[in-house]
Amino acid sequence: MRMITEFAAFAVGFAVSLLSMPMIMKVMKRKGIMGVDVHKKDRPSIPEMGGIAVLLGITASVLTAVLLMPGRDRLLVSFLSSTLIAGVIGAVDDLKTLNAKIKPFLTLFSSIPILLLGTYNPRGPILPIIGQTRLTLVYPFVIVVAMAVTSNAVNMMDPFNGTMSGTCTVITIVLVVSSLILGRYDGVLPSLCILGPLLVLYFYNKYPAKVFSGDVGSLSIGAALGAASIISRLEIVAVVAFAPQIMNAFYGLSTIGRLYERREVPRPVILLENGKLMAASDPNAPITLARLILARGPLHEREAAQVFIILSIISGVLAVFTAYLIRVTV
Amino acid sequence: MIRRIIDFTLILLFMWACMLIGLWLINEVIVPLEIPGINNRVLTATLKVAASAGLALLWLWLWREIVKRTFWRTLRAYEQSVKMKERVSSEKEKQKGRNED
Repeated sequence: MRMITEFAAFAVGFAVSLLSMPMIMKVMKRKGIMGVDVHKKDRPSIPEMGGIAVLLGITASVLTAVLLMPGRDRLLVSFLSSTLIAGVIGAVDDLKTLNAKIKPFLTLFSSIPILLLGTYNPRGPILPIIGQTRLTLVYPFVIVVAMAVTSNAVNMMDPFNGTMSGTCTVITIVLVVSSLILGRYDGVLPSLCILGPLLVLYFYNKYPAKVFSGDVGSLSIGAALGAASIISRLEIVAVVAFAPQIMNAFYGLSTIGRLYERREVPRPVILLENGKLMAASDPNAPITLARLILARGPLHEREAAQVFIILSIISGVLAVFTAYLIRVTV
Repeated sequence: MIRRIIDFTLILLFMWACMLIGLWLINEVIVPLEIPGINNRVLTATLKVAASAGLALLWLWLWREIVKRTFWRTLRAYEQSVKMKERVSSEKEKQKGRNED
């Protein structure tokens, strides 16, 4: 029954996102909610907020799982609620731009369902080499911060077509594999609920992008992955799998020295006459992961996006190895 | 493309290894630490938290410095190689012009 539920959740999420994405793209075009693809010479306008299809897919997927396996409803409801809270914040940001400080603050609230329903390990994370920690009092505060970190780190790592959706797909697969290695079967279901819609988003968002996920997509996917990691007790595995996103956010924040919106700072990447992308040499621009990758010379957007996905796969392998270390320790 | 991936992988491995070593140090050295002359439990716990936070900050600072230096060194090396190529090609052009004369 467990495997049937997992397959059904994955298939329903995939199908709902696949069917709803073209409709959402049409609606966005009609309403004029379009974004400019700045890394192409002809600067095409692309429909925004494709992440709504991801949210619809995850919702349908979770509801299917709840119907088929009523015993897991508390766990799945906390996962879905966290995702939807972040999604609503993202949608508001897409329609009416939020301040660079208010947005991360609001995403702290996506942790509330997990804390209220108590779907986390009350003793704290299990670490490789060390084993079970005793962070009973501190851990709830860590969860609040962790949910904001994952959602905003994913949101910040969307520089090229297909980067966010591709790297998050890799992280989701890593979470599924790690859950299986550690025998945390409760963790497989939330990850599979994300995987179907993410694959659809990647198909539409990969180079050349037909749709942008918008903050509604990136914040909700980040929160969903954060919630899945906490529910599955894969916190440290997720930290390693999220390394490219964490590095990107950390480099940017540490060079600028504060929370910032992309519009407020000089562009870290510039488009050359030949259509390739090059790292800007402006000392005031943030040192993002994209700029670090392009420091060795210009790349085409498709190649740069490929490098991001390869980096995510390398982090994923290290994350799976971390899961193995946890298994050996426990 | 391989060099770009190696750059990132080295930083990632450093960060990962430091994270494991740091967690081990906190768990095995800082947490069981008995500070002679201090009997107050709250003060001892505060000092342990401060030491752990200091270790984490040192890790973050090291990480930031490595990335900054790697980035600027790589970018400057690339810019120099471009200038060198331009100089070589302009000299070749000049040489060609002289030969045609």
